[in-house]
Amino acid sequence: MSRHSKNAKAFLKDAKYSEWHDATFWAVREKRDNMAHGLPEWEQLRQKASQIKLHTLSHLDEYLEQFSAAAEKNGAIVHWAADAAQFNEIVFGILSEHGVKMIVKSKSMLTEECGMNPYLEGKGIEVVETDLGERIIQLLGQAPSHIVMPAVHLTPDQVGELFEREGISSEIGNHDPTYLTYRARLSLRNEFLTADAGMTGANFGIAATGDIVVCTNEGNADMSTSCPRLHIAALGLEKVIPDYDCLAVFQRLLCRSATGQPTTTYTSHFRKARPGAAPMHIILVDNGRSEWLGNPEHWQTLKCIRCGSCMNTCPVYRRSGGYSYSYFIPGPVGVNLGMLRDPRAHSGNVSACTLCLSCQSVCPVKVNLGEQIYKWRQMLPVWNAEPAGKKILCKGMSMVYNHPLLYKAATGVVKKPFHSLKTDSDE
Amino acid sequence: MSSKQDILGRIRAGIRERYEMPSLADLQATVFPDPLEAFITASLAAGSKVVEISPSSDINATVRELFPDAKVIASNLPEINIATINPDTVGSAQELNGTDVGIIRGSFGVAENGCFWIPQAMKEKAVCFISENLVILLPKTEIVNNMHEAYRRVNLGDYGYGTFISGPSKTADIAQTLVMGAQAARSVTVLLV
Repeated sequence: MSRHSKNAKAFLKDAKYSEWHDATFWAVREKRDNMAHGLPEWEQLRQKASQIKLHTLSHLDEYLEQFSAAAEKNGAIVHWAADAAQFNEIVFGILSEHGVKMIVKSKSMLTEECGMNPYLEGKGIEVVETDLGERIIQLLGQAPSHIVMPAVHLTPDQVGELFEREGISSEIGNHDPTYLTYRARLSLRNEFLTADAGMTGANFGIAATGDIVVCTNEGNADMSTSCPRLHIAALGLEKVIPDYDCLAVFQRLLCRSATGQPTTTYTSHFRKARPGAAPMHIILVDNGRSEWLGNPEHWQTLKCIRCGSCMNTCPVYRRSGGYSYSYFIPGPVGVNLGMLRDPRAHSGNVSACTLCLSCQSVCPVKVNLGEQIYKWRQMLPVWNAEPAGKKILCKGMSMVYNHPLLYKAATGVVKKPFHSLKTDSDE
Repeated sequence: MSSKQDILGRIRAGIRERYEMPSLADLQATVFPDPLEAFITASLAAGSKVVEISPSSDINATVRELFPDAKVIASNLPEINIATINPDTVGSAQELNGTDVGIIRGSFGVAENGCFWIPQAMKEKAVCFISENLVILLPKTEIVNNMHEAYRRVNLGDYGYGTFISGPSKTADIAQTLVMGAQAARSVTVLLV
């Protein structure tokens, strides 16, 4: 039994909670459907978005150069981080240079991916998450259970008791979400005013203008960059898109797909540092992406714009929760990203799929998520083989991936061991 | 510098086929028979209040009427004479904390989603977020249909910052319950002039 199956079994023991979880995410899926059905051009938008991503990813070298040149022309300092370790070092270097002791930050799955918060805390820098959901799980010492709604697995009582322990709430026993949100607002306001630096992720980087575009409902990215004298923005390489015409397509799809709203409350463009502040730092992070781009079967996972709609619709995610998966991004896109990251560590997640393909029918950029999971399953013998055989198979596969002709020839060979495995892993 | 060249090198080595940029000219985006009416409907859905005023009326009196208890009013707009603090002349952005009402100007509104474009036109953009209540002066003639039209008009100005805002700051992070007033403005009033 895979780790996911074991965790899912434990998750389902609390029938009332698991039913609530399922219904909560299905409701988000329905809100997304209302938005999609309200726009006659929805399918055309998805088609264009997919084509723009194919074009951009297959010209990513050119767009990254264009983006960094534009950003530098605006006065920003652009860094290139090959991996998570280099990213963390760059961030720490900038913070040290400016004598920063505390940073406020908006939500970023990239900093999560790189383990930035624990790294900086180890260096004595206080990191304050300012998205309400992120702040809640930060105080609990948890990881996000969903990429858009990181604390949705918690009940108001759990949040209320946390706020009482942390001294954020003053009325003991008042667990009303409106009250709790207000208390968090009061508490975070102090951090916004006193932080030395603000850090944001990015939903998009615009090659034509050098803009960093951040979409939030809370306004916390804007609050994080309105008072501190330093702004650091971090983005994965695949976040760069050509221009505003392309951005309009993605902006219209992103929030409708994510939460079922026609737009996020804030769609903010950062091009220059605020007056009197230090230059803005932009860090472009590879951390595997340039290699994944060369994977003939799976490079299109990089089209993902992180809306989370594949999770909300997934019958397995809804009934097993974000923590059942071994990778920090759960659900269909997380299964795929985990396999790209480290197939030996995350091959258990490929069983967390019924192949219903609901994920790819809602994906705003048409990533063929379910089909890719099917393809990963064909490779299970490689990742599950005995150590000696595994070594040979892995070596063989990396050679095959780098030689397209060999790859075609090899497909038949790989399928054979899969058939013998299918009976015990899939049934 | 070496990371940059290594990364770009790996990308070039990995690309197998270069895909064409699709034409966006045939995109049939939603347009509205009455964009202003659609903008108002979408604004209300996003949690904004919308007040239509005649060009001859006094905006200052309208703001006073809407916020009779407001003590700290922040604005750098020339037509606002009730401001008690100016985001252009404050010593620090932090001084704007405690603002009851911030008054700013929007360039244009978007009918499909009720957002409006705010290019930074003040030294401290904090006023757009830190104020408890935000008032936006928006010309009612400047409403575009959708984000495609909007992005053809976006201009960041000299400060190099701009934002689309629709309604008050909000969150549903606690049990999916929608709460207005997360980290930024707790209410948004659009004054259509």
